[in-house]
Amino acid sequence: MNRRETFLLAGSSLVALPAIAQETPRRGGVMTVHFATEQRILNPSLQASTGVYIVGGKIQEALVDLDAAGNPTPVLAESWESSPDGKTITFKLRAGVTWHDGKPFTSADVAFTAMEMWKKILNYGTTLQLYLTAVDTPDPLTAVFRYERPMPLGLLLRALPDLGYISPKHIYETGDIRQNPANTAPIGTGPFRFVQYERGQFIIAERNPNYWRPNLPYLDRVVWRVVGDRAAAAAQMEAGQILFSPYSALAISDLQRLGRDPRFEVTTRGNEGNARTNTLEFNFRNPILADIRVRQALAHALNIPFFIENFLGPFAKPGTGPIPSVSTDYYPAGMPQYPFDAARANRLLDEAGHRRGAGGARFSLRLHPAPWGEDISLFATFIQQSLSQVGVRVEIVRLDAAGWLRTIYNDHNFDLASGWHQYRSDPAVSTTVWYRSGSPVGAPWTNQWGWSDPTIDQIIDNAATELDVGRRRALYADFVRRAQTELPLWMPIEQIFVSVFNRRLRNVGNNPRWASSSWHDTWLAS
Amino acid sequence: MRRALAAYARNPAALLGAVLVLMVLGMGLAAPLLFPQDPLGLAGRPLQWPGANPRFPLGTDPSGRDIMAQLFHGARVSLLIGFVATLVASAIGIAIGAVAGFYGGWVDTLLMRVTEAFQTLPNFLLLLVLVAVFGSHINTVTIAIGLVSWPPVARLTRAEFLTLRTREFVSAARVQGLGDIHLMLREVLPNALPPVIVYASVVMAVAILLESALAFLQLSDPNVPSWGNLIGLGRNVLRVEWYVSAIPGVAILLTILGVSLMGQGLNDALNPRITGK
Amino acid sequence: MRFLSLAAKRLAASLPTLLLILIGMFLLLQLAPGDTVDAMLAQMGGGDASIAADLRRFYGLDLSVPAQLGHYLWRLIRLDLGFSAIYGKPVATVILERLPATLSLMGASLSLAFSAGMALGVIAARRVNRWPDTLISTVGLIFYATPSFWFGLMAIVLFSVHLQWLPAGGFGDVAMGYTGWRAALDIAWHLVLPTITLGLIFLAIYLRIMRASMLEVLSLDFVRTARAKGLRETRIITRHVLRNALLPMVTLIGLQAGTMLGGAVVVESVFSLPGLGRLAYESVVQRDLNTLLGIVFVSALLVIAVNFCVDLLYARLDPRIGT
Repeated sequence: MNRRETFLLAGSSLVALPAIAQETPRRGGVMTVHFATEQRILNPSLQASTGVYIVGGKIQEALVDLDAAGNPTPVLAESWESSPDGKTITFKLRAGVTWHDGKPFTSADVAFTAMEMWKKILNYGTTLQLYLTAVDTPDPLTAVFRYERPMPLGLLLRALPDLGYISPKHIYETGDIRQNPANTAPIGTGPFRFVQYERGQFIIAERNPNYWRPNLPYLDRVVWRVVGDRAAAAAQMEAGQILFSPYSALAISDLQRLGRDPRFEVTTRGNEGNARTNTLEFNFRNPILADIRVRQALAHALNIPFFIENFLGPFAKPGTGPIPSVSTDYYPAGMPQYPFDAARANRLLDEAGHRRGAGGARFSLRLHPAPWGEDISLFATFIQQSLSQVGVRVEIVRLDAAGWLRTIYNDHNFDLASGWHQYRSDPAVSTTVWYRSGSPVGAPWTNQWGWSDPTIDQIIDNAATELDVGRRRALYADFVRRAQTELPLWMPIEQIFVSVFNRRLRNVGNNPRWASSSWHDTWLAS
Repeated sequence: MRRALAAYARNPAALLGAVLVLMVLGMGLAAPLLFPQDPLGLAGRPLQWPGANPRFPLGTDPSGRDIMAQLFHGARVSLLIGFVATLVASAIGIAIGAVAGFYGGWVDTLLMRVTEAFQTLPNFLLLLVLVAVFGSHINTVTIAIGLVSWPPVARLTRAEFLTLRTREFVSAARVQGLGDIHLMLREVLPNALPPVIVYASVVMAVAILLESALAFLQLSDPNVPSWGNLIGLGRNVLRVEWYVSAIPGVAILLTILGVSLMGQGLNDALNPRITGK
Repeated sequence: MRFLSLAAKRLAASLPTLLLILIGMFLLLQLAPGDTVDAMLAQMGGGDASIAADLRRFYGLDLSVPAQLGHYLWRLIRLDLGFSAIYGKPVATVILERLPATLSLMGASLSLAFSAGMALGVIAARRVNRWPDTLISTVGLIFYATPSFWFGLMAIVLFSVHLQWLPAGGFGDVAMGYTGWRAALDIAWHLVLPTITLGLIFLAIYLRIMRASMLEVLSLDFVRTARAKGLRETRIITRHVLRNALLPMVTLIGLQAGTMLGGAVVVESVFSLPGLGRLAYESVVQRDLNTLLGIVFVSALLVIAVNFCVDLLYARLDPRIGT
C-alpha cells in the first residue's frame, strides 16, 4: 500500500467514526482468528488456558461471565447466593437451554462437571475446589455447592468465568473423561457449534440456530487458523486472511507496525482480566542468592523503564509487586520498590562480600529463561547485559518447555529463572502459590525457591478464607509488602495481553476477558 | 606434495576458496582487536538500520547489539564449531571405518549395521534429540554435530581399507610380525587418509550449516555470538528489518563457499587424473 | 512375485537396523529432562502435583523404563504405534494426517533437484570449461553453500512481502473453501517456495555429480566408438551417455533420503507446513515419545523403501547387473 492510499483510508476511518454508534448489527460473515499454539483438548472444563478459551469459550459456556465493568454477570446461572457461614453457595440455573445435540441443560450437568472435572482434572480448578465436598441438585434448575471451609463468594464469582465452564453429563458419564472424543470436538450450549478440527491447519465452528439468547449470534462462522510462525501470522493479518489475533501472539515489532496502520486496532482493551508479570526467580539453595542484599542488588541493577521503552513498547509498564494494577479490588499502592541504581547495586554486592575479581567479575550465575514469549528471551538478554555492568556474569541456559519446568520446579537446578506469572482474577487462584511454602516438589509455578516464610504463609491462609472484602484487601496488602521485602522472586514488569483487531469487527473487546468470552454479540461490518 | 601445491595454486577457484577461508579466519582473529567490547552487550537502541548510525555500520539486532561486532566474533564461533565437529566426526568415522574395513567378517557386519542405523535416521532429527537431551551449551552442540556426521567418513575409510589391506606392502608388514594396531595406524591409514581429508571439507561445511539451522530454531547456545543465532533472532522482525537475518546469512554462504572450493581444489590437486582432463 | 519376495527380503534384512534405531531412540529420550506431562503442564499453564501424578499414571509413565520399552515393542509387533499424549489420538492417525504435506514437499523437491540437476549437469559437461559450464558450476556452488532456511526466509521477504507473488506459508488456504482441483492447485501454489528452498541444495549436488559422471563417461571407449560410427551427438548423449552417467545420481538419492527428511524439518518450520518434519520437532519438544518413535519408524521405512526403489532402478540402468 502506498502513502496516498494509507492517507485516504485514515481519512475515511475518521469520517466513519461517528457513524459507528448508530450502526445496526449486520448478520452473517466469517470471523477468522489467529490460533498460535495447538491444543491437546478444546474443552475448557478440563483445561484452563487461553489457548483453550479462544476456541472452547465460544462453544461451551460458564455459569457466570464478566460484564463490561468487570462484574460477574449471569450466563448459565441466573442468580446466586451464599449462606452466612460461607460454606454453602446456591446457583439458580437458566431454563430452556439445550446442548448442541438437543438434550436439555440441567443441574445434573453442573454437579457432574464440578465434581468430576473441576475438582479432579481442571488445572487451578483442583486448587480452587479443594474443599468442595458435594453439589446437591434439589431440582433440575438448582445447584447447591457445599464446602468444608468457608468459600468467599467474591472469590468464587471472580474465578468462575475461567474455571466454571460446564460440560454435558450425558456425553461424559461413560468411559474415561480424558479420552472422550468430545475433548477435541466439544459439545456445549454456546453461540457456536463445533464443526471440524484439522490438526495443524484450522478449526471451524458455525452459528448455533437454537442459541438461548434470542436472534444471536450475528456471525455465521468462526474459523481459527493455526499459524505458529509470528511473521506469517502478521502477513495473514495484513492480507485480511485473519481478522483477529489474540493474546500478544504477534512479534513485538509487528504489533507496533500494525498499530500505525489504520486498518487495524492494536490494543489491550478486552484483556484487562488477563494481566501477567515477568518474573525473576531466585534459587535460595545457592548461598550467594540466599543473601537478601544480593537479591536487592540484582534488582537495582536492572533499568526496567529503559528496557520497557526500548524493547517492549507501549503495552508494558513497570510492575510493583505480585498483584498487578489491573486488580482493582486488591492492588495495594505504596509498596517497597527497587528502582534502577547501579551504584547502590555495586555497594550492596560489596557489602555482601562479593568484591570484583579479575576482569571486574564478582561471580557467575546461570539464568534459565522460559521458552515461550519473545519478551522473556529479550528480558533474559537484557538481564545478562545489565548484570555484567555490576560484575555479575550471567550464562543463559536455553531449555524447551518440558526441560524448563522439570529443571526449575522439580530438580531445582538453576540460579536465576525468568518467565511469566499470570494473574487470574484473584490472588488466591494464581498468585499466592508462588510464595506459600509446602507445595510438593515438581508442582510448576509454585514456591520452589528453597525459601519458606511462616509469616507470609499465615497471611496467605487467612486471606484465602476471609469472607469480608475489606479485611481481605488489607491482608493482601500485607502479603505484597512481605513479598517485596523478602524478595524471594521479583515481578518487575506488568503486561496486559495485546489484541489485534481488523477494524471491520464490531462489538469487540467489550469485556475484560473478551478473547476468552463467547462472542455472541460480535459482528462483521461489510 | 610440492606438485600438488603447485596444481592447487594454478586453480583460480581453489585460490578463491582459500582467500575466502583466510578472510573469515582473519575476521575471527581480528574480532577481539576491532571489537574489544562484549559482542553480546547492549550497544545501542535495538533495530537500527545499517548506515543509520555511523557507530553501527551494519545496524543493531532486536536486543540492541552491534551486528558488525557479532559478525566478526561469529566468524570464530562458526569456524571453531566446524573444525571441532569435523575432528570429532573424522575421529569416530575413521576409527569405525578402519576397524570394519581391516577386520571384515562379523565385525564389519556389526559396525556397518550401526552405521546404517545412523544413516537411516535423518541426521537433523537425531541432532534435535541430542540437543533436547544434553542441552544447548556450545560444547555439547559441537560434539552432537560431530556425532551425527561420522557415517559417511566411516564408509569412505572402510572402502579404502578394504582395498588397501590386501596390498603387498601390508602383507609384507604382516609377515614381519607387526601387530594389528601398527598395521592399521602406520601402514594402511596414511595411504587411506587423502580422500578422507578431502571429504573433511564437506563435513565441515555441513557442520557449520547444521549449527546455523539449530540456532535458527533457537536451539543453539545463546551465550555465543553465532551467525545462526542472529538469523533466528531476525526471524521475528523479518518483514521489515530483514537485514538482521540477511547479513549473517551472507557470511555463512561465503564461508561454506570458501570451504567447499578449498575442498574441491584439494581434491583436484591430489587426484591429477581429473585435473589432467 | 519376484518383486514381492525381493521386497520382503530387503525388509527382513533391515529389521535389525530398525530395531536398533527404535530402542536407541527410546533410551536416549529417557535421558531428556522432563517428560510429556511436564510439556502438557506447560501448555496448560499450570496444574498441581495431583494432576501431574494422575496424568503420569494415565500415560504409563510411572512404570519402569524396561517395562515401558517392553510395552512399546510388544505393541509394535502387533503394528500398533500407540497413543499420542500431546495430540490425544492414535499415533498412526497423527502421522497419516501429516504425511501428505511431507511427501508432496519431498517428492516435488526431489523431482526438481533431479531433473534440473540432470539438465544443467548435461549442459555444463557438454560445454566443459566454457562460459555456460563456468556459470552453471558457480551457481551450483552458491546454491550448495546457501543455508536452506536462510534462502527460505529471503524468498519470503522478496516474493511474499515485497512482490506479493507467492504465499508466505501454510498448506493451502482453508477459508477459501476450495475443493477438488482448485484445492490441489492451491496447495501446489503454496508449495512453490518450500520446494525450491528444500530442492536447491540437492540440485547443486546432483548437478555436480551429473557433470562429473558425464565427463567420465564421455571419455570412455564406447562413446568414441559411437562417434566414430558417425552417430549424432544428441543421440549419443541420450542413448549411451545419460544411461551410464545416471548411475551415481541414483545411488545418491538413496543415500540422501534421510538427509532430505532432516532438511524438511527446517523448511516446514520456515513455511509453517503441517508436515512430518515439523511434527518430529514438536514431538521432541513435547517429549511425545510414542509420536517420535512412530515418525522414526515411518521415516526409516521410507528411507528403506527409497533405497529399495533405487536398487531396482539401478538394476535396470546398469547393464552389468542382471535385468
